[in-house]
Amino acid sequence: MVYFSDMPEPQRNMIVNQELPKYDDTACAEGPALAQRKISLITTAGLQRRNDRTFTPGVGEYRIIPNDTDMNDLLMSHVSTNFDRTGFQQDLNVVFPIDRLRELQVAGEIQEIASYHYAFMGATPPMAQEAVSKDLSGLLKDDNVNGVLLAGV
Amino acid sequence: MRPPRALYVPFELGRPFGAPNEPEFQRRVLIDALKLLERSDGPLIEDFNEMPPNNNASNDEIDKWICPVNFNIAAKDISDIEALAIDLKQEIALLHPWYRESIKKFNGRRLDGLTDFSPEEIVDLLVGFLKNPLIESFLADKPIGRALKLAADDLKHFYFQSAMARPKNISDGQLGDWFYEKTLAGRLLIQLRFLCLEHESEELNLIGRTHFVPNAMLKHI
Repeated sequence: MVYFSDMPEPQRNMIVNQELPKYDDTACAEGPALAQRKISLITTAGLQRRNDRTFTPGVGEYRIIPNDTDMNDLLMSHVSTNFDRTGFQQDLNVVFPIDRLRELQVAGEIQEIASYHYAFMGATPPMAQEAVSKDLSGLLKDDNVNGVLLAGV
Repeated sequence: MRPPRALYVPFELGRPFGAPNEPEFQRRVLIDALKLLERSDGPLIEDFNEMPPNNNASNDEIDKWICPVNFNIAAKDISDIEALAIDLKQEIALLHPWYRESIKKFNGRRLDGLTDFSPEEIVDLLVGFLKNPLIESFLADKPIGRALKLAADDLKHFYFQSAMARPKNISDGQLGDWFYEKTLAGRLLIQLRFLCLEHESEELNLIGRTHFVPNAMLKHI
């Protein structure tokens, strides 16, 4: 996330002035060392596989990205025009660091990569995402994931 | 949100892992984020204070970027919609070799594909909306506004991918300036914005405000 001071005024105002639900602090749950973790990526970049349905503005939904997906087939159907896309266009890892995660696994710095990763479209109102997010947490548990990286754009 | 652990990065919006084609830097960001999983003293927010390599906008390599094709659009009259469609297809024809070259450079990766339409078909669809702003959606399961947005994004992806056939690094601002100032496709999206802003549909008004021209590119209007 860029610093507010470096953000163009319209985006800054939109983010600062939007109505958000109140959340309590989330305590840290203790777990094993990173080298014993199974990691899943969750991006808010609106990524989808080429044949998936494109994202619908305002609707709480996510797309599943199986770990064995041909990552060259990921597209971005995010509705916003106001963030840099050329980084993603030149290198997927700028928003979805799947190659870096695989390198960490080979190096033994993480134990395993999850069977599935997930993509949301970040411009969606948070309350619209609540139900599907709870559903997704069940999928992560079923996959025995014990480390999640939420990578916002 | 109040996540248990967060790593705050100072990079440009849209680049959470710093910069393209900088694997070592991306790895440092990723490992710093994942290492927070071993902390139990949160909730906490840590800062990542390093900036990516070549972050300086005046970098020589970036400054030298020019598009391989000069469309010379200054003399074009875009009020003639039929002529606009023909000229746009000529522009696209000039870019096709660079598009193919770019796909090779990207190891087969294609950026377009949000719709099943070719760039030429998208020109016909978007110009069709300019001719008649009351047309039905051309995507069966999408309202006209979303259909226009996805088609416009696909056209833009074709142009951006073509333009990225040669440079090693390029910024969002440079590509945006090129697209909105020097291509007819950019002019077409600006026209779409105007038409949506003046449309009787409030939904299209909103789409016109935000979906076709980034705030940073409004200077080209």
